[in-house]
Amino acid sequence: MLSTVNKLHEQTIQARKLIIDMAATEVGCHIGGSLSVIDVLLTSFALYGNDERNRIILSKGHAAAALYSTLYVLGWLQDNPADSYGQKESLFTGHPNYLLPHIPFATGSLGHGPAYGAGWALSQRLRGEQGRSIVISGDGELQEGSCWEALQVIAAKQLHAYTQIVDYNGGQNDGLVQDISPLPQLADRFSSFGFEVREIDGHDLQQITAALEVKTNRPLAIIAHTIKGKGIAAMEGNPAAHYAKISRAQACKWKEALG
Amino acid sequence: MTLSGRDAYKDELTRLAQTDTQIVALEADLGGKKHPFEQQFPDRFFNLGIAEMTAVDLSAGLAEGGFTPFFSTFAPFVALRCAEHIKLALGYMRKNIKIVSCYGGVSGGWFGTTHHALEDIGVMQTFENIRIACPHGEEETRRVIREAAASPEPYYIRLSRNDTFDSLPSLAEDDELIVDRNWNEDAPIALVSVGEQATEMAIRIKRQQPEWNHVHLCYVDKQALITNLQRIEQSGQQIVVLEEHRRAGGVGSYLSLLLPHKQIYAFTPNERWPKYGGSHQDVLDYLGFTEERLYTFIHDIRKGSLLCSYPY
Repeated sequence: MLSTVNKLHEQTIQARKLIIDMAATEVGCHIGGSLSVIDVLLTSFALYGNDERNRIILSKGHAAAALYSTLYVLGWLQDNPADSYGQKESLFTGHPNYLLPHIPFATGSLGHGPAYGAGWALSQRLRGEQGRSIVISGDGELQEGSCWEALQVIAAKQLHAYTQIVDYNGGQNDGLVQDISPLPQLADRFSSFGFEVREIDGHDLQQITAALEVKTNRPLAIIAHTIKGKGIAAMEGNPAAHYAKISRAQACKWKEALG
Repeated sequence: MTLSGRDAYKDELTRLAQTDTQIVALEADLGGKKHPFEQQFPDRFFNLGIAEMTAVDLSAGLAEGGFTPFFSTFAPFVALRCAEHIKLALGYMRKNIKIVSCYGGVSGGWFGTTHHALEDIGVMQTFENIRIACPHGEEETRRVIREAAASPEPYYIRLSRNDTFDSLPSLAEDDELIVDRNWNEDAPIALVSVGEQATEMAIRIKRQQPEWNHVHLCYVDKQALITNLQRIEQSGQQIVVLEEHRRAGGVGSYLSLLLPHKQIYAFTPNERWPKYGGSHQDVLDYLGFTEERLYTFIHDIRKGSLLCSYPY
């Protein structure tokens, strides 16, 4: 367990540096949400992404920089995404490109991941396979009604192979979730829908790993409390962290600070 | 007894599922009780509740898992509410999903405007990669369901409510259009019909105007229109497309883009909102989609006096 966590830790640092590199491109990136989600995203892929029976869906597709970084750090993409991110004829578009490996659904618009993941989980049940779907949404994304429509179906059909992770960073494009359309009693909501619920520190790799291993006969919801811009002091808690374009010099400093 | 399109769909899909174990049927609480697929294959039938958007994306996950999901509900709820889901899952990502929409056009009759879909073909036409079928009658509907099940392509299949018709005999099993057998090489008018009521209207008129030609289009997606463009172009000097759809985005409007030098006219319901009750035919009457108005429409075309605003 400890060696796994140590390795994951190293990989998340590499991934964070790549995210910073993408923020330092001509187009910038959704750096805040990418840095908040990277720990749960990379851990999910590292532990479950290599099994063909599983599907991991980054439903908060605007964190594409985190997804590309994860896949590259894990060796599942050949090209460094930061080299061509956002450029003409590059598949590394600002939202997940399903033409790349390990990206089964173009999730740029929000609220699609849960239902897609439900379909995959159902397919596994129909096949008698043990595969699972892990869907990672943002807390802001949960303002989309389609998420709750899907979550209700997931509970109703008892799709036990479905895991919903919420990257609960408290921010969204125009401000704070709590100011715009808050999500009171989120854990209770999932619970009342019929989910097994865990609340964790979304940057604690041990907690993430343990939560993903929870055995339950209900669909699983993991509320991962995270910090927008996590890892970059200037970005943590900064409302401007949602989307940023930074200089190369700034990127070098931030990467250096990561170690 | 002839079955309606949607009953033919249920029956044919259930029959196909006996040998094709990858077929899965999804409904959004409008499939009706005692759905034959549910009765025969309860493990592969899912009433997801009133959750159309979920049904489309969930179908994408099933398709990714190697299944062939057929999702059926009413046309307005799937084509309009789920437009973005269809754009992405069927159009952009080409997931192997078959959408079977009932209540196409104003076949919902007295249920009112919420239950009508006069815009769906236009919405689907704007998305690349989706086969769009508007079968007429039981046999043609069965054929389309068989073709959809055998194809890896996404499908949008538009059916009516409970109307029952005998399909026109096709010359070949895979023909995407059906031409009448009494063909006139120099026809002044060709009636190109889309959907059930329009095709029935064309059949009746053809009996009275044997010198006109009738072409029934079963598939109306861009690929089908282009494949059959020459035959459509040569079907008559002036072409009148009959379709239970808005003028904008309909097959007539698309054909006129594909054949800019041809005289193509679209005879459609007028552009009112169908606010009154009544039967399917009553609502069509209110919208001016009648043989009488079609004759006037064609008369004005031939006189060269058709106004752009007519009869809207």
